[in-house]
Amino acid sequence: MKPRHLLVSSCLSLFATATLAAQEDAPAPLTEQQRAAHVLSRLAYGPRPGEIDRLVEMGVDVWLKEQFSDKASADPRLAERMSEFQTLSMGIAECISFTATPPTDKPSVADQRLARRKNRIPMEELMESIAFRAVFSERQATEVMAEFWRNHFNVSFTKGQDIYPQMPDYEREVIQKHVWGSFPDMLTASATHPAMLNYLDNSLSRRPPSKQQLAELERRTKRKTGSEERATEAVQIASQRGLNENYGRELLELHTLGVDNFYKQKDVIAVAECLTGWTIDGGREGTRKYVFDPDMHVDGNKQVLGKLVREDKDGGPGQGMDLLEMLGKHKGTADFIAMKMVRFLVADVPPENLVEQVAKTYRKTDGDMTAMVQTIVESEEFWDPSNVRSKFKTPYEFIISSLRVTGCEIGSLGELERYLVAMGQPIYNCDDPTGYYDTSDVWLDPGVMALRWEFAVDLANGKVDAVAIPDAFYDQVPADVPPRLWQHHLTQLILPGGAGARTRAALATVTSEYLEKKKVLDLFQLGPELVGLLLGSPEFQQQ
Amino acid sequence: MNTTRRDFLRLAATAGILSQVDPFTSRLFAAPQSPTNSALVVIFLRGAADSMNMVVPVGDPGYEAMRPTIASTIAEGVVPLDKTFGLHPAMKSLKPWFDAGKFAPIVCAGSPHQTRSHFDAQDWMEFAAPGDRTMRNGWINRYLEASKPKQDNASEFRALGMQELLPRSLRGSYPVLAVPTSLERHKTGKTLDRFEQFYGDSGEMMEGGASMSGQREEDPAGVVQSGRITIQTLRRFGEIIEAAEKKKKKAVRENQSVSGGSYPNSQFANRLQQIALVVRANEGLEVAGIDYGGWDDHTQEGGVEGRMADRMTDLALSLAAFCQDLGPQLDTTSILVMSEFGRTCRENGNSGTDHGHGGSMLLLGGGVKGGKVHGDWRGLGEADLYQGRDLAVTTDFRDVMKEVLENGLGFEPPKDFFPQYQAAGVRSLY
Repeated sequence: MKPRHLLVSSCLSLFATATLAAQEDAPAPLTEQQRAAHVLSRLAYGPRPGEIDRLVEMGVDVWLKEQFSDKASADPRLAERMSEFQTLSMGIAECISFTATPPTDKPSVADQRLARRKNRIPMEELMESIAFRAVFSERQATEVMAEFWRNHFNVSFTKGQDIYPQMPDYEREVIQKHVWGSFPDMLTASATHPAMLNYLDNSLSRRPPSKQQLAELERRTKRKTGSEERATEAVQIASQRGLNENYGRELLELHTLGVDNFYKQKDVIAVAECLTGWTIDGGREGTRKYVFDPDMHVDGNKQVLGKLVREDKDGGPGQGMDLLEMLGKHKGTADFIAMKMVRFLVADVPPENLVEQVAKTYRKTDGDMTAMVQTIVESEEFWDPSNVRSKFKTPYEFIISSLRVTGCEIGSLGELERYLVAMGQPIYNCDDPTGYYDTSDVWLDPGVMALRWEFAVDLANGKVDAVAIPDAFYDQVPADVPPRLWQHHLTQLILPGGAGARTRAALATVTSEYLEKKKVLDLFQLGPELVGLLLGSPEFQQQ
Repeated sequence: MNTTRRDFLRLAATAGILSQVDPFTSRLFAAPQSPTNSALVVIFLRGAADSMNMVVPVGDPGYEAMRPTIASTIAEGVVPLDKTFGLHPAMKSLKPWFDAGKFAPIVCAGSPHQTRSHFDAQDWMEFAAPGDRTMRNGWINRYLEASKPKQDNASEFRALGMQELLPRSLRGSYPVLAVPTSLERHKTGKTLDRFEQFYGDSGEMMEGGASMSGQREEDPAGVVQSGRITIQTLRRFGEIIEAAEKKKKKAVRENQSVSGGSYPNSQFANRLQQIALVVRANEGLEVAGIDYGGWDDHTQEGGVEGRMADRMTDLALSLAAFCQDLGPQLDTTSILVMSEFGRTCRENGNSGTDHGHGGSMLLLGGGVKGGKVHGDWRGLGEADLYQGRDLAVTTDFRDVMKEVLENGLGFEPPKDFFPQYQAAGVRSLY
C-alpha cells in the first residue's frame, strides 16, 4: 500500500485545482493528476487504489510508454493466477480430448451431468481468466485493446458446444498474440481460425458437388439402403450443398470495409467463393485445425471490388490469401478501423480529423496497431477536456472498474457473471457478429441504471459472492479524519475526476443522517453505504 | 378519460370492421368495462426469420423442390390457411385466431432497400427509414414524441421495452423505460429510494456550478436524465404489477373466473404476460416492445421439427396465450411481429437458408381484418424472384406500420413521419 502522506497531498492538490477552475470559464488544460485519471479510464479499466498517485509520480507519459512496450513489467502475481487454469494454454485438439468423456453404452444421469460440466470447463475458465486479467493485470492497455478486438472479430459461446474447445486457442492465437501487432496479421489469424470458421459457417461453405460426385453418391446410397427413393433424396439434398455467404459478408461488412462501403452483393458472393475450402480438419483423424480442402473450393478466377483475384496455380488457399491481403491494404479498411478505434478510445462521435490521422498511420505502417493507438494518445483530441468523462461505461467496463477502484479480492467469476448477463454483456457471449457496441446510445436506456445501482450496493455491502472489498481500502482514509469528512476522502478514491454538486449534496445528507442516528461512529458502517452510492453515482458511470 | 380524436378514430375503425364479421367474432368485440386506450405491442424477430417457413407457400408448385430438408407439407401437419398458404405445424396454435378473424399474416412484406446486412436492415426497419443513416429515433419513439400530451409529464406510463435494453424502434428522444426483467422487485424499491437524490430533477442541476474537476456541471452522456426516468417509471411499473397481481389473487379467492392464457414456460412468454398485466391495468400504456433473438438459421434449420420449429412453437403458443389473456382488451390492442428481411427461397448447402429479401409480417388484434393472408404473392418461379433467389417485396413495411398507427393507435402520421416514403393506396388490414 501507498504511504498515507502521498494520498493526502494528492487530495490537497485536487482541492486547489477545483478552486482555480471555478474562477475560470474556459476549460483549462488537464493537470497531470487529471491526465492520469483520464488515461486510466480510457486505456485502463479505471485506477486501482493508489494508482493515480503512482502515475503522477512516474509521469503519465512514462506509464503510456511502458504499456506499449513488449518488455513491460512482468506481472508475476497475475501469471500465478493464470497458471491455475487448466485449459488456457491448450490447443484445440488437446482441449477436445481434455473435455471428452469416454463413451459408455448407457450413460447414467450422473454421467451425463459430469460430461456437461466437463464440456463447460474451457468456457468458464476463459471467461474468468479474461475478467481476472482485466481487473488485475498491470498491462491495462493490452486488456482494453484485447476487448476491442474481441468485439471487432467477434466469436461467441452462444454458437454451441462445439465452439467451446476452440475458444481458448482463439483468444491466445488471434486476440492476445496480435493486440499490438499488425491488423492484416490479425485478420488472417481470425480468417484461418476454426472458431471463426465455425462461428460464421465458412467451414461448411463449398462448391456444389459435380454430376459425377452425385452419381457416385446415388450408387453408394442405393447399395447401402437398397432404396431408390432414399438414393434420389440423398442426391437432392447433396445437390443443394454449396456456398454459405455468412462469413464472406461479415468479412467485408464488419471486419474490413464497413457496411456497404465499396462492395455489392456480387462481391459478397465472390468473396465467399474465394474462401470456399477454408475449413476445419475434422473426421476421426483430423487435427481440428484450419485446413484448405481443394475439393470444396470453387475453382476459377474471381472479380472482387472490380479487381481480378486469380486462382491459386498450385491448388492451394492462395486465392483467399490474396483476397485478405487486398482487403488489408484497402483504404476503406484503414478508414473503418481508424474510425472504430477513435470512437472506442476518444468519443462516441469520433473527431474526423483524428480519424484521418489514424487512418494515415494505418496506411503508412501497414496497419500497425501500436502505432495507431499511439497516434491517438499523442493527439490533442484525446486530451481535450471536452472528451474527459464523456463516454458512458459499458456494463463490462462498469463492473470491472468497480472491482478495480475498490481494490477487490475476487475468488471466482461466478456471481459477477450473473450480473453481466443481467446487464446484457457476458464475456464472449455476443450472439451478433457485430460484437458488443461501445457507444452510449446502445447502453443508456432508462431502466438499466437500476441494475447498476443494485450491483453497486451489493458490492459495497459484501453481498456479491466470492468478491470482497478489503479493509485496506478503507485504511486509505486517514484515521484522524472526522466522520463528517469521510465522504470527501471516499469520493477522492472512487471519483478521482471529482464529484458534481448534486452528488456531493446527496453524500452529505446520507452522512448527516448517519451522524444524527448513531452514537458510535464506525467507518466500516457508513463507509460501505457511501461507497455503494459513489459506485452508483452518475459520475462513476462515465469514463 | 376524455374521448380524444384517437379514440374516435379507433371507434370508427372498429365500427367499420364490426359490420363485416360473423356473430362469433362480434361477441368478442363487446365494449370493455373500464375505459381503455389503444395499445400496440411490437415483437421483433432478430436474425431474419425464415418467413417462408412460418407462413408456408405449401400450395406453390415450386416450393417443395427448393427446400429438400426444410419443406413441410399438409400431410406433415401444415395447417392450410388458403389455397396457397398454410401455417407451419409449429405455429398451429395461431389457427383459431386466424379463424376468429384476428390474425392477419402479410406475405412478401419488407424494405425497398436491397441490403442483406442484418444490422442495417434492422436499424432501417426500426427507424422506418430505409437507407437513411441519419435517423436516430425509432418509429415508435417518433410516434410517442408526435402524439405526446400537451402537459408533458415524464412519469407518464406510455411505453416500455420489456427487456434490459430497448429495441431500436422504441429508442430515441422520447424517454422510454426498459424494464430489466432480472430485477428482484422487493429489492428494487429500496434501491430506487436510495439513489433518488443523486438523480434528482433537472432544476437542481443547473445551480451546481463547477464541479471539482473544473468541468461544468452538465450531463453530456444523459446519465442523470436516464437515472431520473428509471426511478420514476420503474417505481410506477412496480405499483402497477403489484396492484394487478393483488386484483388477480382477490378474484381467485372469490372464485371469480380469471381470464389469462396458458403461457408456455419461456422468457418470451413471461415478458408477454407482464405486458398483458400492464395493458389490463388501464394505466395508459400505448406501446410495448420485445425482441426475440436467434432466427439466423444458416445451418440445420430443421423441418417439421428442429431448431426453428422449437422457436416457432414458443412464439405461437405465447402469442395465442397473450391474445387469450388480454380478453376483451384484445379489441383495442394490435400485435405486430416483424423481422429484418426474409431468407433465400432455396435451401443452402447446410440445410439452412441465407439472407434474403421479402419476408412476412404478422398482425394480430381485435380490430384487425384477419382470417385472410394479405399481400401480393407472385410465386416461386425463377422470374418471380428478387435477383433470382429471394421473395420480392410487394408490400413496403411502412405501409403496414402506417396502417397500424392510423387504425390501431388512431394516430395520423404527419407528412414527413416516414422520410422518403410514398404512401401506398388503399390498404385493408383493419
